[in-house]
Amino acid sequence: MNDKPNKLITDDGLRLDGRRADEIRPMKIEIGVLSRADGSCYLEWGRNKILVGVFGPREAHPRRLQRADAAVIRYRYNMASFSVEDRARPGPSRRSIEISKVSREAFEPVIMAELYPKTAIDIFVEILQADAGTRTAAINASSIALADAGIPMKGLVTSCAFGKVDGQIVLDLNKEEDNYGEADFPVAMTQDGEITLLQMDGHLTPEEIKKGFELVKKGCKEILEIQQTVLRKKFETPVEEPEAEPEAKIVDTESEAAETEPSLEYAPEAAAVEETIEEAEELEAEPSEEVTETVPEAEELEEIVKEAEVEVVDGEAIEEAIEAETEEEAIEAETEEEAIEAEDESKGPWKVVKDPSESGSRGENDE
Amino acid sequence: MSEIITTLKKDYIYNLMIKGKRQDGRGFKDFRDIKLETNIISKAEGSAKVTLGETQVLVGVKLQTGTPFPDSQDEGVIITNLELNPIASPEFEPGPPREDAIEMARVVDRGIRESGAIDIKKLCITVGESVWIVFIDVHVLNDDGNLIDASCLAAIAALMTTVVPNEQQGIGTNVPLAMKEIPVGVTVAKIGSKLIVDPSLDEEAVCETKMTIVSSSDGSVAGMQKMGSAPLTEAEVMEAIDMACEKAAELRELYLEELVKQE
Amino acid sequence: MEKKIVIPGDLLSENSKKAGYGTYVKNDKIYSLFCGIESLKEDKVGVIPLAGAYIPSVNDVVIGIVIVVTPSNWIMDIASPYDGLFHVSEYPRRIESQNMPEVMDVGDSIILRVKDVDSSMKVELALRDSNFYKLKTGLVVKVEPVKVPRVIGHGGSMISMLKKETNCSIFVGQNGRIWIDGRDEDMELLSKALRKIEAEAQRSGLTDRIYNFLKSERSKKKESRPAKYFKSKKKETKLPKESHSEEIYRKIDVLLDPKN
Repeated sequence: MNDKPNKLITDDGLRLDGRRADEIRPMKIEIGVLSRADGSCYLEWGRNKILVGVFGPREAHPRRLQRADAAVIRYRYNMASFSVEDRARPGPSRRSIEISKVSREAFEPVIMAELYPKTAIDIFVEILQADAGTRTAAINASSIALADAGIPMKGLVTSCAFGKVDGQIVLDLNKEEDNYGEADFPVAMTQDGEITLLQMDGHLTPEEIKKGFELVKKGCKEILEIQQTVLRKKFETPVEEPEAEPEAKIVDTESEAAETEPSLEYAPEAAAVEETIEEAEELEAEPSEEVTETVPEAEELEEIVKEAEVEVVDGEAIEEAIEAETEEEAIEAETEEEAIEAEDESKGPWKVVKDPSESGSRGENDE
Repeated sequence: MSEIITTLKKDYIYNLMIKGKRQDGRGFKDFRDIKLETNIISKAEGSAKVTLGETQVLVGVKLQTGTPFPDSQDEGVIITNLELNPIASPEFEPGPPREDAIEMARVVDRGIRESGAIDIKKLCITVGESVWIVFIDVHVLNDDGNLIDASCLAAIAALMTTVVPNEQQGIGTNVPLAMKEIPVGVTVAKIGSKLIVDPSLDEEAVCETKMTIVSSSDGSVAGMQKMGSAPLTEAEVMEAIDMACEKAAELRELYLEELVKQE
Repeated sequence: MEKKIVIPGDLLSENSKKAGYGTYVKNDKIYSLFCGIESLKEDKVGVIPLAGAYIPSVNDVVIGIVIVVTPSNWIMDIASPYDGLFHVSEYPRRIESQNMPEVMDVGDSIILRVKDVDSSMKVELALRDSNFYKLKTGLVVKVEPVKVPRVIGHGGSMISMLKKETNCSIFVGQNGRIWIDGRDEDMELLSKALRKIEAEAQRSGLTDRIYNFLKSERSKKKESRPAKYFKSKKKETKLPKESHSEEIYRKIDVLLDPKN
């Protein structure tokens, strides 16, 4: 398999895996696959299998890492030893350290780190199987994991590479093209097309680079649509019952990769809203709390908390919370008290049985 | 930084134990749900992923040729490595393996080595010159407790599906890795005076001590490790062995024996 | 009102003056920073996030866990990137430094109020009201802080239903820590219900769903072991560890009695 094929592009313009020059490999994405991470994403792109976990904002330590005015962003690109043909030594290599650095920089312009001073936002990337373009795949997955973790971002970052193969400019190199091609040019960009990562090796003329940019813009646009679709789907679609399998469905694509149609796993039209949410206002941090009362025993100050009845306090607390978080001048805090009041949710059966004496009935069983 | 375990949680778990109950409703001898997937990393010669509750562990087996050790010139070499990747838990940090990662790797390794799971004589290519080196890399993806049993299970499953890439070396056709035994590791944790199998993350945090017992198909024990600072009585050790061997037999039958038939 | 899910970078409005929470302005247009629900109002466009960390703000009521005891402060984990400080002078009575662990030691859980958060995110904690609420029984369950409003429900509908149906005491901290107390079976059921609320937070008619869930779980339980249910419970309460909480239940019941 290490022999260079005669031709990487056939006479009818098709590549070894059947794609045309401007097509990306099929992509499959799952969100929220890790229970311990704050946000996570599993992504398969071609034969790449990548897992990303995001942690934070969390306390940054050691303390010397902290920034007084913003969160520090850390990005760790790590290859599993078995992810490549010849076993890789565990731990960081010079290559993975470099990739981690440029990938972190790809996200720094979009993450609103200034909202969380003194904290750290950790992006941990595990390459479980590598098949050319791992850094671009990892960035695409990281974007989703960050959004899943609720990290504020100005938009998603999308990444794709172009290269030169058999003298032709092609999008999203596969393994053979990466090994035997004449150039590799990974790019990451914001949704506005601002370039946040750029690397290149090989030989390209300025004209070829210009042409490559056109391809990469097209590729990134397609990827952005996939990312947006899966994210919307995750937050729109109710959880299936029984719960949807959280694991990444890992399929062996080695054998079939060559024939796989380069179609997208998620069509943008699948994003159609399935269900509107009735109670959105309720989610707006209705700042309520339980009233607790202590047993009035003067000498026993450490008393266990007891609840009496529900009290919904006004929206002040949250209003302030929002203000404290937001430093941008243009952004102001607000709550939706009116909306909360306006929307009546009291149709549930529990209302029917509501009777204040009910709540005290528990004790009868205890006696 | 390790997660703070609250006095409240400790009391709660202990109280449940006294009443013969566990936080997630399991019996003392119940494992959480297990899902085993094999052949998932095509770049590896063998691979398996185990999902135990929310714990996720991925094992990849790579084979490379190398020279044998001087004292075992006709035997292949087994090298087990385990990474507690920071992706798996907010408590794990990037950096060289911590002592608990090394301990876990060695317990997994010992179970495989001492039970004679792999027929290492068959890994010899040329006596004294060239043998297969079997790299067992345990990649921890999500820590929801009892990583070690998940790792043992994934490691043996990955080995059982491993193919020796003879063709790549021009020394014949690819053959399945020769296996002689199916060791299964079961961890028993002691909480209060009770013994439980498959401790969850919370149970692991409050348990005084735990012990991993790796046993073979005939019910013999191939490796054990006590982890944690509290002592165990001899009676507790013997009870733990009984529990572990019984559970190991169940796991072997449920998840691993079908892999033998596949070959 | 139309509810729309937005994701980071979605265009919300062309009128930059209306920028509200969870948004940013670029080229005079408002975009979303979060995955969340769009909130369009006459003068404000905002996003209600569907995920994210708890950031303390003044007057939040939270459940803290002591992680360090210093000579003058208890340092508390408040399930946030920022630890909270509870100064010894906030405690209702004078305590010598060496006696501080007797009042609260590492691992203890306490209900507190956020007294102040300064610009460097130093968080000071105080008593919630004049009382000191140290949690001695029960359990603290963690939910995502953004889902706390769903646990409470509109006008407290969810939480009153949960209490009634599970016979548990519940206290919801704004940091996503929820204290529950009751009988073992009830707490197990309630924990399950809370996890379900968390998992299905964006579904509509959630209170009904949870109500039905609790009902069906209860009937499942009853089928599996019918008459034993009340018997075994009585046994439990006889255990010495339980005597304290039994006492507490009695007191709660007195408090809850509407006649008092």
